[in-house]
Amino acid sequence: MGVIGKRVAYYPGCSLEGAARAYDVSTRIVAKELGLELDYLEDYNCCGAMESKNVTFMGTMLLNARNMSLARKQGHEVIVAPCNGCSFSLQRAEYFLETDRSVYEKVNALLREGGVDSLDKIPHTYHILEWFYHEAGPQKVKEKTKRPLRGLKVANYYGCLYTRPHFYARTYAHAGGQEEEVRPRKRDTADDDEHPYYMNALLEAAGATNVEFEPMHTQCCGGPHSLSDEMVSEKFVMMILQTAKRNGADIIATECPLCHASLEMYRHRLMMKGVPDVDVPAAYFTQLLGLAFGYGANDVKLKDNLSDPLPVLKRLGLA
Amino acid sequence: MAIHERSLVEPERILRKERLVVEGIDVSGDWNLIILPRVINDYDLDFAKEIINSPDGKTINQCYQCSYCTASCPVHNYWDERYNPRHFIYLARLGMIDELQKRADVMWRCVSCHKCTHRCPKGVLVEEVLKVILRTMAKKGLIEEYPSKKFDKFFTEQVLEYGRIEDGELLFGWIEKQGYKVVKDPILKKPIPFIGETPEWLKELTMKPIKSMNIGFLMLNAKHMLFHPRTKNWNRFKQVLRKVMEEEGALAH
Ligand code: SF4
Ligand code: SF4
Repeated sequence: MGVIGKRVAYYPGCSLEGAARAYDVSTRIVAKELGLELDYLEDYNCCGAMESKNVTFMGTMLLNARNMSLARKQGHEVIVAPCNGCSFSLQRAEYFLETDRSVYEKVNALLREGGVDSLDKIPHTYHILEWFYHEAGPQKVKEKTKRPLRGLKVANYYGCLYTRPHFYARTYAHAGGQEEEVRPRKRDTADDDEHPYYMNALLEAAGATNVEFEPMHTQCCGGPHSLSDEMVSEKFVMMILQTAKRNGADIIATECPLCHASLEMYRHRLMMKGVPDVDVPAAYFTQLLGLAFGYGANDVKLKDNLSDPLPVLKRLGLA
Repeated sequence: MAIHERSLVEPERILRKERLVVEGIDVSGDWNLIILPRVINDYDLDFAKEIINSPDGKTINQCYQCSYCTASCPVHNYWDERYNPRHFIYLARLGMIDELQKRADVMWRCVSCHKCTHRCPKGVLVEEVLKVILRTMAKKGLIEEYPSKKFDKFFTEQVLEYGRIEDGELLFGWIEKQGYKVVKDPILKKPIPFIGETPEWLKELTMKPIKSMNIGFLMLNAKHMLFHPRTKNWNRFKQVLRKVMEEEGALAH
């Protein structure tokens, strides 16, 4: 452990400074408790998420390269992003900049033209969960836990882009040989690609019980189509919520503001339609860790969660 | 085990007779299912070339049609069999545009979950390739407007303008595009939640922070809706970005 660095550039992303501020606040709390330091990336721009990449290739490269360049300027080689969409976009840009020389050169020239330093080195991006797990780990979480999440049954929802695709997230451990030509090498710190467990491990260390949640733990919530393709998103969210409920979960732990928003929004719609077994609320894993570290419900902004996890947590004496 | 590819044969090409005798032998029963052959004569080989020229589409030629991608795809498995990434790649490589066009109503449904890309044994960036196919078709005017493209453009325009995204404006702007009447304040022309037409579910959802008296949350989001968060040193960069996108032809269609 301790291979990523205790002080990193923090790219919160647009969502965390607006509707998902609870994730931002609780992330900072958890980082502070675990003795890690987040250096806010000044004046960053949107990563383009899963939308802009369908409109323009070079545009998304530029958007992300600008953020990388800002991180380099602040003296960092590592960026952490708490959002699956942001970490995906940055890792995607990293992949193309590293593997395609012509893209790299073109991007550097355009960065200078746009008044930003060109990239002397391409910084690596990690999802914040990976960073917490490797720089602090379950042991540290256990030490810091003042109010164990005893009796809380959690379904850990990782979403798509935390582990996929392995080209960008570097999660695929292969046997070598011919595969070397096709697949990039697994990053030492990366989570398991089909059975991610970092969030399970951290929450278990904080005293929670994990319920069986495969394969819905990495099933899509509708993602970039949550607004444009409501029927598909609704069905996907229904499958996720029902699996969680029927496996006995009290709460769904999330690690992405977009998944979280999609789950909460469609949970509400499904409940209005009277669909059974969809009433499991959602909370960010950092909110749950914050509670375990002895912070109050207001400190981790539990009221912000539109799915209202407070009653469940109150019943168990955790908030 | 589901048969994944049965949907690729159009119903009108499947022939099943009550009684069938071939060269004096009665083959009625299980053996009388005939799939009529078809004639294809309009390949557009330049189509694949255009896809390969884009850095995110150049892995398309590594595909060996194993269908791992289709078998992992949630849209194929849980929504519509006709959504079939393997088949789209096949058609695009051959340049069979009219066959792609027949599937235009499902082609945009990819939710970018990347299961296909992750599992492809040949290292095709499947999701990216599919998006390049769609983008290329749109650029050539071979496909009509589809919902996700509308949203993608709407989103990208906001990024281009401000450098950042704001959830409220995105949500209400999108609802307005859907045909709801959103009420705006007369000075800043920003949407006002709670009045005007909003879908029922959204109305209830936006009421929640008010009911729970979550003042901090309301203030922050109101502030952001009135004064869109911006990236500070954006203007010069924005011009470069716009230029690049124009070169790609991304803003035209
Ligand atoms: S999994 Fe890869 S090689 Fe197999 S059909 Fe899909 S794109 Fe082609
Ligand atoms: S990224 Fe799209 S095509 Fe690939 S598995 Fe997901 S929904 Fe299917």
